[in-house]
Amino acid sequence: MRRDEENALVKNGRLDSVDRSDSFGFGIRAIADGAWGFAASQVVTAQEADRVAALAVEIARASAITKKRDATLAPVEPVRATYETPVDLDPFAMSFDDRVKLLMSAEARMRERKGLRTTRATYAVWREDKLFLSSEGADITQRITEVGGGIAAEAVGNGELQIRSYPDGLRYQNAGGWEILTRWDLIGNAERVADEAVALLSAKQCPQDEITTVILSGNQLSLQCHESCGHPIELDRALGSEAAFAGTSFLTPDKLGTFRYGSSEVNIRIDATSPGGLGTFGFDDEGVPASEGWAVKDGIFVGYLMSRETAAALGTRSNGTMRADGWQRVPIIRMTNVSVMPGTAGTLDDLIADTDDGILMDTNRSWSIDDKRFNFQFGTEVGWEIRKGKRRDMVRNPTYTGLTPEFWGSCDAICSESEWVMWGTPNCGKGQPGQGAHTGHGAAPARFRDVRVGVIK
Amino acid sequence: MSEVLFGERELRAIAERAIRAAKGDQAEALVIGRIGSLTRFANSAIHQNVTSREAELRVRVVVGTRRATATTNRLDDDGIRRVAALASDLARRAPEDPTFPGLPAPRPIPSAPSAYVEKTAEAAPLARARAVKTLCDRATAVRMVAAGFVSTNVQEISVASTLGTWAYAPQTYAEVQIAAIGDDGSAFAQRVSTDWTSLDVEGAAAEAVGKASVAQRPRDLAPDTYEVVLTPYAVRDMVGFLGLQLNGLAIEEGRSFVGGKIGQKVTGAITLVEDPYDPRSIPRPFDFEGQPSDRVTLIEDGVARGVVYDSVTAHRGNARNTGHAQPFLTQPAPMHMRLEAGDKTREQLVAGVKKGVLVTRFWYTRWVHQLRTLVTGMTRDGTFAILDGEIAHPVKNFRFTQSYHEALGGVRGISKDLSLLVTGEQFGLMTSCQRVPALHLAAFTFTGATRY
Repeated sequence: MRRDEENALVKNGRLDSVDRSDSFGFGIRAIADGAWGFAASQVVTAQEADRVAALAVEIARASAITKKRDATLAPVEPVRATYETPVDLDPFAMSFDDRVKLLMSAEARMRERKGLRTTRATYAVWREDKLFLSSEGADITQRITEVGGGIAAEAVGNGELQIRSYPDGLRYQNAGGWEILTRWDLIGNAERVADEAVALLSAKQCPQDEITTVILSGNQLSLQCHESCGHPIELDRALGSEAAFAGTSFLTPDKLGTFRYGSSEVNIRIDATSPGGLGTFGFDDEGVPASEGWAVKDGIFVGYLMSRETAAALGTRSNGTMRADGWQRVPIIRMTNVSVMPGTAGTLDDLIADTDDGILMDTNRSWSIDDKRFNFQFGTEVGWEIRKGKRRDMVRNPTYTGLTPEFWGSCDAICSESEWVMWGTPNCGKGQPGQGAHTGHGAAPARFRDVRVGVIK
Repeated sequence: MSEVLFGERELRAIAERAIRAAKGDQAEALVIGRIGSLTRFANSAIHQNVTSREAELRVRVVVGTRRATATTNRLDDDGIRRVAALASDLARRAPEDPTFPGLPAPRPIPSAPSAYVEKTAEAAPLARARAVKTLCDRATAVRMVAAGFVSTNVQEISVASTLGTWAYAPQTYAEVQIAAIGDDGSAFAQRVSTDWTSLDVEGAAAEAVGKASVAQRPRDLAPDTYEVVLTPYAVRDMVGFLGLQLNGLAIEEGRSFVGGKIGQKVTGAITLVEDPYDPRSIPRPFDFEGQPSDRVTLIEDGVARGVVYDSVTAHRGNARNTGHAQPFLTQPAPMHMRLEAGDKTREQLVAGVKKGVLVTRFWYTRWVHQLRTLVTGMTRDGTFAILDGEIAHPVKNFRFTQSYHEALGGVRGISKDLSLLVTGEQFGLMTSCQRVPALHLAAFTFTGATRY
């Protein structure tokens, strides 16, 4: 596996950092005596492959001293195949000057606004080439390319630190080429972002400890979905593999197919084939082909993210969600693209017009959820009061909290397909040693009733 | 030294080849070698068992006030030349940055206690597996299951520059984490040591299993503001968040709770120091720019005394470079914090509480409002009601939303023992550790609860 990345940050009028990196190596996962071992090296030679393979087997045999049952894998048809992310404008082929110029221009536009303490613009370009071989006969090559970035402005004063960003808190990323970033018009949005950051300093405080209606922007709903649906449908968590660290799941196997996760408006799809998604690929790191299916259908919990081993425990086949964060990490279950499907509520303006009283919350600023993915609390960069179907005053420090099935059960409207965007999380942490994953989450703005808002006094 | 190490000679050869190959006014090479081996278990059986041997070279090239970095793990001659050329090319094309002071000039690096223990470097897979078996057997004996990991780690950090900087340090550490899980409650324990043969696996098992046995069938307790006793696992979270703000960049960007308050009271009677030379931590006397790291008193008896800097933030802030650059140069950070001990046993801390809550561990903590150090998170793996100085019963987990430095304004007791905990990892490299006590605090605000 080879990974190439370039990350740049323009801050307060200067190129604060640019780093280009590559990493190349291989890992071997082996079952011996019915237990797992994994070893990896960056020395890619036949002799080293022999050494690492022997070490993986030695580790597997050591694992066996605590074994309760032999590792069993659900079957998969071994294939010879290739996959490559469709790319219009290869970010590694274009000039560095052109990449940086976009950031410098957008950041300079924000700094035209007085009253800002810090302004930032970033990009990330990322590519992974990998070859998967298995003793069962699979031979798969893949090239995944991603691009991301954004702008952010911070204002400080009166005991407040406020931030506005675009399109999604400097963490927006999609699979594809440089065209991903140019379509967001960072320069054209810079003035608005800067103005809103300054305005937040004097905005009124979000209502405190009230129960009200909340409309979440698409990017905030995408993270809500990631944390409160994407993680609890990971079958390794539900079976206890992450119990000491990432946690378990309230969505235990006995609930599969019967548990009411949300209202009938809520349909959440697992789809590793969605164009642009950070969880879009040809095959997972067990050689299982990308698949699509439902996690939640008409509000009912119906599907897990699975590996070959966890699928076998449920007597089914893997839906291909095992991914490793580099050659030196063992594959674990990761979200592919777990997306809230669009509803029929029209545009965001239509949804606001249909709401008598509530708060619109936009772009994540704070997120926390318990180790069973049940009790959560989120904060966003900005909110606006909604009164009689109109967006009114801006509010600062908006937060909301709830319990996962009650919250999704209170969803009574989701905007239509025209508002649906494939958002992403390029920094999802899980596993020990720690692994970061890139996961996709399509979402449109949605409305939730009877939500508790405001925790900052 | 062990054959598992890359060794000072090899890393220095890589670094010097890199800075010689760079085309610029100045160049710096950071070379990191590491072997991480981690045996992970759940449901009382090993399910992931991994090891990897890696080395990485980062080259920073400066042309006037322009600079860029490039990183690779291809450490043959071609790979080194290629990464040096890439960093040089990016640096030449980067915009000027008039605030960049250039690379820091070399300064003498004081000696520090060694953090390298040969037996940790040589620990074998079977030894880790046997330690896991011990943990699982202890849980199984009381009809619980165990989950967690046992790891052994070797890392080598070296920095060279065209100005003459050379710094090298090998480090080892071993760690055990265990959650003992019953039918309706769990508890957590952790131990860290530079010496694998001193890692207290039995102690971790006894702590987790013993606490889990009294954590079953938690009751409801209404969210409110309570007195709390926090174990070191929870205190480490508070210290870690405060550490994110006790640096020159946080001051510069106006997001630090000590901004404009050096010399003023910011917490209760605690003393927090950054001590890279603490022999009972995992010492390292220099930072990731190869600069000597200072001992820095951050908070003394509740009064803000100082923050840490790297070369760039020190220059911009007209301050002394304390030698606290991090690997990716994003912002300086204290990497060896110690919250000074008090005079109480942990039992005495509990005995001092009329009505309150004992928290074993925080989970999923995130900023809500940085300037106020307002953090939200959950309790986890052993939360108990305290009544009249005694543990009364387990309670269901809380959500809290609390200003960390304001909570430290009400320190009523500090334990006399400190725990060494690994607190910071960046892409597999251990960058920071802490030694922290248990605390008794007068008020901590729980804003919600869950149902387990």
